[in-house]
Amino acid sequence: MMPSTEREQPGNLNCRLARQVYCLLLRGYPSAFRDEYGIAMEQVFHDCYRAEKERGGPWRLTAFWFRTLLDLIKTVPQEHLENLGKENSAMKNLGRDVVAVAGCVGIILAAFLLLSYGRRHEASSILMFGYALDALVVTGAIGNLIVFLLVKTTRLDAVRVALWTFLIVNGVPAIVLAIVGGRIDPQFRATATLVGYTVSFLFWFGVHWAWSLTKARMQPAN
Amino acid sequence: MKTSGKKAANLTKPPPERFLPLTPAMFHILLALADRERHGYHIMQEVEERTEGKVHLGPGTLYGSIKRMLAAGWIEETEERPDADLDDERRRYYRLTDFGYRVAGAEAERLERLVKSARMKKLLSKTQVSR
Repeated sequence: MMPSTEREQPGNLNCRLARQVYCLLLRGYPSAFRDEYGIAMEQVFHDCYRAEKERGGPWRLTAFWFRTLLDLIKTVPQEHLENLGKENSAMKNLGRDVVAVAGCVGIILAAFLLLSYGRRHEASSILMFGYALDALVVTGAIGNLIVFLLVKTTRLDAVRVALWTFLIVNGVPAIVLAIVGGRIDPQFRATATLVGYTVSFLFWFGVHWAWSLTKARMQPAN
Repeated sequence: MKTSGKKAANLTKPPPERFLPLTPAMFHILLALADRERHGYHIMQEVEERTEGKVHLGPGTLYGSIKRMLAAGWIEETEERPDADLDDERRRYYRLTDFGYRVAGAEAERLERLVKSARMKKLLSKTQVSR
């Protein structure tokens, strides 16, 4: 076994670089698999790389990299697929996910229908909330899609993701409309638009925050 | 007591034939562990030497298979090390379980039957067989 100090020599810079690249590639695997076997895989990769380097020139190393990449392409999706159905995976939380998606779609649909009804019948009691309903529908559809994808594909905290997503999704159009709206349309109501997007942000972030509380309440029981 | 416990555990396991055919990677790993316990890199080396460099197990294939075989109870991780002074303590050693031996044996018998069939159909010449 090579002592660790020898691996750190400047002559082995390529080895270290290759190891670091492989470490980055290992991030493709599910975190549970990586936590369990990541160090061992890194060690094996390092041993193989050193052996290939000692045996021959750049062609051997190129072939080795090619084999390693093929191995990653083949096994990363396999591990992710196998991870489905296990704890904290998409399949395990499928029931919760369906409820959450159905809830969001329901809210967006309800807001849209209410707005359409108000516009068709010129119901002032509904149209006074028109800006907020408009923002609820548009930012709800875009924001929830982004939040869902981010939460499912990363290990980011759901509430933080919701906070930043809805802040951006509501904040950017609100600011842009407040600046540009008045120049395009003289009757544009900047204050009402800002209030509408603020209500939309508070509403959608509130929904996600409340949803996270129900999850936290369920966890100790599990 | 221990032996009877193992026998009882084996009785509760499903028949090894149920897991056949094994993937080539799994069978190669079981073969590598059949004679002694080894760590990951050692398994890769053994497979490469035995197949004259024709089979290369990548780290992902190796540890993915190890994970599945550990879960199935075919192999187990061992704390014992051949020589602690010469070895890196981060290395993880694996060995076959009794059930793993049975599964590997069942796969070897399956392959043997296939080779017999191939020989009967004259797909294998004598020189090929002796090689």
